[in-house]
Amino acid sequence: MDFKQHITGVILGLAMMPAQAALNVFACEPEWADLVRALVPNADIHTATAARQDPHYIEARPSLIAAMRRADLAVCTGASLEAGWLPALISRASNRDIQPGKPGLFFATEQVTLHQPHDHVDRSMGDVHPEGDPHVHLDPQRVPEIVDALADRLIELAPDHSNMIRLRQLQWQVRWKLSTAQWQEAAANLKGMPIAVQHATFGYLLRWLGVDAAIDLEPKPGLPPSAAHLRKVLSDPSLQTAKLVLIATYQDERPARWLSEQTGLPVEVLPGTVTDEAGTDSLANLISHIIERLQQYQEESPPEVGSHG
Amino acid sequence: MKSLHTRTGTLALAILPLTVIQANELNPDVSVVLDGYYKQNHTALSPREEGFGLGHTELSLSSPIDDLFKGQLTAVLEDHEGETELELEEAFLQTTSMPYNLSVRGGRFLSQVGYLNSRHLHEDDFVERPAAYRALLGTHYFDDGLRLNLLLPTPFYWQIGAEAFDGNKLSEGDEDIGAYTVNTRFGGDISRSQSWQAGLSYLNNRQIHGEHGEEHGGEHEEEHEEHGHGAEYTGENLYIADVVWKWAPGGNNRQQQLTLSGEYLYVDDLNEHATSDDVHEGWYASAVYQFAPQWSAGARYGEVELKEAHGDHFHGQELKETDVMLAWSHSHFSTVRLQYTHQEAHGFDEADNTVMLQYVMSFGAHGAHGF
Repeated sequence: MDFKQHITGVILGLAMMPAQAALNVFACEPEWADLVRALVPNADIHTATAARQDPHYIEARPSLIAAMRRADLAVCTGASLEAGWLPALISRASNRDIQPGKPGLFFATEQVTLHQPHDHVDRSMGDVHPEGDPHVHLDPQRVPEIVDALADRLIELAPDHSNMIRLRQLQWQVRWKLSTAQWQEAAANLKGMPIAVQHATFGYLLRWLGVDAAIDLEPKPGLPPSAAHLRKVLSDPSLQTAKLVLIATYQDERPARWLSEQTGLPVEVLPGTVTDEAGTDSLANLISHIIERLQQYQEESPPEVGSHG
Repeated sequence: MKSLHTRTGTLALAILPLTVIQANELNPDVSVVLDGYYKQNHTALSPREEGFGLGHTELSLSSPIDDLFKGQLTAVLEDHEGETELELEEAFLQTTSMPYNLSVRGGRFLSQVGYLNSRHLHEDDFVERPAAYRALLGTHYFDDGLRLNLLLPTPFYWQIGAEAFDGNKLSEGDEDIGAYTVNTRFGGDISRSQSWQAGLSYLNNRQIHGEHGEEHGGEHEEEHEEHGHGAEYTGENLYIADVVWKWAPGGNNRQQQLTLSGEYLYVDDLNEHATSDDVHEGWYASAVYQFAPQWSAGARYGEVELKEAHGDHFHGQELKETDVMLAWSHSHFSTVRLQYTHQEAHGFDEADNTVMLQYVMSFGAHGAHGF
């Protein structure tokens, strides 16, 4: 009897396989994998980069070519963030569905207006993207717009899952709104807090929070902190009021540590994107975590920040 | 539900301005690579003369052509004995929408044999290609032809490809299809920090036994007249095995990366007078360590054993080369490199040791590099 049930189960399972053929998604960065997972939990997702990798400098490795070869959809940041590797990957994978202009290639930054687009850009300005600052993934306001566009795109590619995706989209939006309200409350005492950063990784969130990231350890966007620039930072009067140096886990800690030794400023190293670890394993949790950490440096003890499931 | 429908509507509207943006970007991507150097002494088998000089100055245009094709044009300006030569190194179209991960490339392009050959020279970690490449592939072999590549539906990366070429850029002849190649490449990740790729290639030069088969028959004047990119040492069959392994802590190759690579090249059936012992053979092994975002150091050792044709017999030649280099890249677009090359040779008059200082600067479009 048991055995028979088992066999029937296997046969049923096999029969259902084609209908369940999971959507295969290539996510350039973990934040987009998180959003895809929220909308299509059974999607087969390959994430090209991790929090400890600088997303500007990935190589078009064989494993990534293989992953892009079999993907139905690639979800990437765009706005030239991946300019050094994504075009080579797309070309080598020769996947007819994942090509510029095709629905299979989704760029998050094309769904929102970006901070600081430039009419004129040249390389003497550093690695400035003409389209604007691409690090949109931590922006409480822009991410919901991206989720809506992503849901539409997923439905275009998998119309059978339309109801499920719409339901999950709605659930996600409600949860995000609740979290946003909590972040807003928590942010009240972060307003105007001066900090030093390295690169614009957290820029959108910091602006939304009203945190004043006035000092950048990078001499020009994308260039590593140089000794000459660090000395200039050291003599910057606004450094006196800064509360901390915030850098991302993929960055070299030495320049921030050096500055810390000179000034006594604490250094906070936070993941720039979603990780596998509890507490920062979704975009909402990551934002909550960043806000919590920033509040450690503000005198008035803040209200608790709720975490997002 | 209603709100969802409206949302879809707004999204459709939101996509419109985007297509407008793309339509405005009708200009092709333009990139220029400047390559200049100072070389202390002349060295054997080297296209770079001593003193100050310009290397491989490159102007490249690329763009999608439509939704089925993309194209690329690369013109190279090179200086030879005071004369500037303009050479078309690449002028090809490539399909982007073939089924089954197939792609076809047609026109003039770099052959994909070996690891280095399909890469642009400015991507190299050393001033010059290994001696085996300089002797057997004329630094880098490109020609007019057609390529077909297929990615196999395996969980790891596995590509097979075939190319057919005119062949006259390898050795002169009358065949319509003077050379063809077959190539396979596979690779993957060992962990988050380590990845690898290996390849096997075969090139068949069909013009070796043609009527013009004796073009390198010891007449050195001929070589000087057409100092193009033709390989100086040829044979009917060229086999190449290559392997690359890269390591970066946590996969973060921005901070640190170690690259080990090596290739083995073997050529037989040199011409109608060749016995089975008359073969060209060469290899190199290279280690490059990028120890900080802006700095890398590397060492390379390579050997090549050649047979120079003299009428109906051959003279053996041998070149052993050691290179060490230190490179500083202020940004992704500027590199200054200091290199010392030590040559040990048998049968070459010009072998010498040399110090070289090189810059490679690029401006324009951000070129995306392969593995």
